[in-house]
Amino acid sequence: MTDTAARATSVVAPTRVRRRLRGGGPRAGTVAAFLTPFFLPFLLFYLVPVGYALWQSLRVVRRTGGQYGTSYTAFGGFEQYAQVLRNTEFWSSIGRIGLFGVVQVPVMLFVALVIALLLDTPLLKLKAFFRITAFMPYAVPGVIAAIMWSYLYSPQLSPVVDLLNGIGLKPDFLGPGAVLWSTANVSTWLWTGYNMLIMFSALQSIPQELYEAAKIDGASNWTIAWRVKVPIIAPSIVLTSVFSIIGTLQLYAEPAVLRQISSNISSTFTPNMLAYTVASGNNYQQAAAISVVIAVITFVLSFGFMRLTSKRAGL
Amino acid sequence: MRTRLATVAAAAGVAVLAACSSPAPSGEASAASCTPAKGKVTLQYWNTVPGMDKVVDLWNQRHPDIQVETKNISNDQYGTLGNALKAGKAPDLAQVGYDELPNLRTQNAFVDASACKTATAAKSKFVPWTWSQTSFGGTGVFAMPQDTGPMALFVRRDLFEKYHVAIPTTWDAYASAAQKLHKADPGLAITFFDPNNAEWFNGLLWQNDAKMYGYSDDKWQVTVDSARSRQVAAYWQKLISGKLVRTDLANGSTQMYAAYQKDRIASYVGAAWGYSMFRDNLPKQAGKWSVVPMPTWGTDGASGDWGGSTVAFMKGGKHLYESVEFNTWLNTDPEALAMENKLGGLYPAASAGLRLPSLEKGVAYYGNEKIFDVFADSSKKIDTSFAWGPTQKTVNLALQDAMAKAAAGDGTLTDALSAAQHAALTSMKDQAIPVTAGK
Amino acid sequence: MSNPSVIRESRVSRTAVMALMLLLAVYFLLPVYFLVVAATKPQGDLAATNGLVFSHFNLFENLRVLFTRSDGVFGRWALNTVVYAVLGAAVGTLISALCGYALAKFPFRGREVLFSVVLGGVLVPTTALALPLFLLFSATGLVNTYFAVFLPSIVSPFGVYLARVFANASVPQELIESARLDGAGEFRTFFSVAFRLMTPALVTIFLFQFVAIWNNFFLPMVMLQKESLFPITLGLYEWNGQTARAPLLQQSVITGSLVSIVPVIIVFVLLQRFWRTGLAAGSLK
Repeated sequence: MTDTAARATSVVAPTRVRRRLRGGGPRAGTVAAFLTPFFLPFLLFYLVPVGYALWQSLRVVRRTGGQYGTSYTAFGGFEQYAQVLRNTEFWSSIGRIGLFGVVQVPVMLFVALVIALLLDTPLLKLKAFFRITAFMPYAVPGVIAAIMWSYLYSPQLSPVVDLLNGIGLKPDFLGPGAVLWSTANVSTWLWTGYNMLIMFSALQSIPQELYEAAKIDGASNWTIAWRVKVPIIAPSIVLTSVFSIIGTLQLYAEPAVLRQISSNISSTFTPNMLAYTVASGNNYQQAAAISVVIAVITFVLSFGFMRLTSKRAGL
Repeated sequence: MRTRLATVAAAAGVAVLAACSSPAPSGEASAASCTPAKGKVTLQYWNTVPGMDKVVDLWNQRHPDIQVETKNISNDQYGTLGNALKAGKAPDLAQVGYDELPNLRTQNAFVDASACKTATAAKSKFVPWTWSQTSFGGTGVFAMPQDTGPMALFVRRDLFEKYHVAIPTTWDAYASAAQKLHKADPGLAITFFDPNNAEWFNGLLWQNDAKMYGYSDDKWQVTVDSARSRQVAAYWQKLISGKLVRTDLANGSTQMYAAYQKDRIASYVGAAWGYSMFRDNLPKQAGKWSVVPMPTWGTDGASGDWGGSTVAFMKGGKHLYESVEFNTWLNTDPEALAMENKLGGLYPAASAGLRLPSLEKGVAYYGNEKIFDVFADSSKKIDTSFAWGPTQKTVNLALQDAMAKAAAGDGTLTDALSAAQHAALTSMKDQAIPVTAGK
Repeated sequence: MSNPSVIRESRVSRTAVMALMLLLAVYFLLPVYFLVVAATKPQGDLAATNGLVFSHFNLFENLRVLFTRSDGVFGRWALNTVVYAVLGAAVGTLISALCGYALAKFPFRGREVLFSVVLGGVLVPTTALALPLFLLFSATGLVNTYFAVFLPSIVSPFGVYLARVFANASVPQELIESARLDGAGEFRTFFSVAFRLMTPALVTIFLFQFVAIWNNFFLPMVMLQKESLFPITLGLYEWNGQTARAPLLQQSVITGSLVSIVPVIIVFVLLQRFWRTGLAAGSLK
């Protein structure tokens, strides 16, 4: 067993280091035995697919002649990438998701921050109730959340629409302009509590003495919140931002469910929906290229955001 | 766990290596051999028809040696099938719409069953246009026609009478009826235009002889955007722009039924298989509905087909003989056809099916009208040379996306045709299919 | 504290804060409340009655229909979800803990490089992996099996990251050293000393991974065609898509949604403190 494990991880744990490692740590074989159960599946189900997608994205379809010739694939260089970058549907989906992210992520994180700060002040009663209420949607998977909200959006079935109609408003949650924000609302509903809890946990671990000085100086709760607390939990806010950016670029389930009831969500609404649509049109090579481009954009954005904020905050 | 992971690791490695060597292009599959298996076989049959499991139960009772297992793949029929094909795990038989046959054929998804006598002999048992679709106009047998969707107009006779509007027989008359109904009751629309339903719109194109594809000079000729298709697009665009039809309803959705339930819509441009939709979902409106022939464009009275399916012989199936036996029974045996009609609302593609006792009677829900006479008449007037394209699904999606935009006021249906034309050309080029824009 | 202006400020603030939080609470509870109400109604009342008001109490009949529909396939989905999400998260937590502990406590060459690779893995969008994985799995015959969803699900780079952070924070080096002096092997040290100290952290990692799998819709959608292998999310999505042709499914989609989220909500609320301690440790490093 250890044998297989050691051999399998030889890529990651240099075999040269056979005996004792520096600092009196355990044998290389033992280290490998700890690492392999994770790194082997990590290699197979993370790294290999990444490599495979890269390789696929460099292939193109060729075909033997005739009206219904048989297809095969051949090396095509960057042809698929060129096509992706020329594809207007691709850029619209990126633009749509960009707009979504620029609005939804700050709104959600701001609301999460406000809730976290309020839960951390003496001003509020029923704290446990509010904390649980806000966090509860996190237990609901995106598909089910979208199904629930789709009933609340549907003009024929929704009590919310009925209510708004009653006061003279004619909302169309599934209309061409609104449906993006209806999707954003599902994401906000789902993830606000989670982000709130990350920030709240960070707040809770700040030693109380830090505030005492400010309190003695007569600073109000608001001042303490914005001037003292927020800067301290800045790393948590960065973390939630990065996760939110990644999540936004991966958006699939929520719009896919809303698409079942709204014609204003196209088959290429988000980059991932585009990738799936292209793949189900048998163009797996181009779908791979799209996946690679999405992953690169995700990397650049989340790394870029971390670098930017860590410089600004001097972390 | 460890050993299993190691096995997977090895397997994945092999896959990567195997994938590195370019697979040799194989020629088109020739007709497979047709020998009965020794002993009991089990066939897989994937479909989207409600109640099909009961029809299959009947077969299974009578044929202990050819057992059939069904699976419902309604939600993502072609995604599921495409994935299974890619994985080499396709079933023996699968329901495939007429419009998806060319696509799957270019993926080499079918087996030619023409080596089986039962298969070739079945030709005479089907309505001619359906057989030319499943044989691609040649001598192969890649699927058996199952049902068709000859189009007709479903009307709420009571609403037309209430507002003294004659039931239209031409599209011009339909447009003015739309106006009259809307004027009489601003909350009432003559019908709805579902922008996410390319299949329906294609049926309307079919009716106007707007052929989407041809094949000549060794190339596919794409004519999705043509003078005849633009005529259809401009007509519906006018109704949409005039707010005479609703665009917020998806066909078959609960919302759609709710709108009909509340008397907000007066007609439905539908197909034969749709007769059960209203019967089952709007039982309170029994007696108020009628079925009349499609409004026509000119004087020739041509009709169109919307939907309908075949049961295809999928590549990888190991029991061709048994598949042919079951498939033929399923789609030509009067008892099977009667069940499919009753449980799934299928309108048979088999000529014998059109004379089912249940299809010759009046239908209670429709005031005992003999509605199937209307559909039978419609099916005779369907152009038999209309052909689908090898990337039809991609084209349909592009058409839908653009039609949804048009319905939302961003562009027009004519723009949608050009988007679909563009999608047809690029998607076929992506698949290395020889293609050019036809005239 | 006795300053009257501070008291006035806080009274106004208290009211404003309470009002704001109540509004937010309504927002968070509304869809769930709607689901509870809808799940108790007969199908016919869904469109016909106000969605926020109870009508005929039909919950038990709805449940019976839900669990008997299509030969009880919903029960199967629930079981599958447990296999994918609970078992997958348990296995995933164990391997993450081993790896994170080793990365934290064992000095070996290449450690930081490995850790960076894991961190890079955190940023790889898992949906980007689903399509290439599908193609790889289809070549190996793994598509449309439990393993197609289970195996990729056990890998959680974020879990390793957390495990390393937690191991550093909660397992003192001296304890490990003294266990070693007592002659304990590394695995025994891990399971008898570190595992116990890390338990609250491991619960957190488990919960995170459970949510990740429970939420991952794209992977099973791409991998599975056989209905009997579906997790609940995919099953409900499929049913929801069929409501157009079979509107009676709507009630089962609603009841099924309720049935599947209630136990998870309860467990989450009960285990809240693990979330908080875990999240705090995870985000501060």
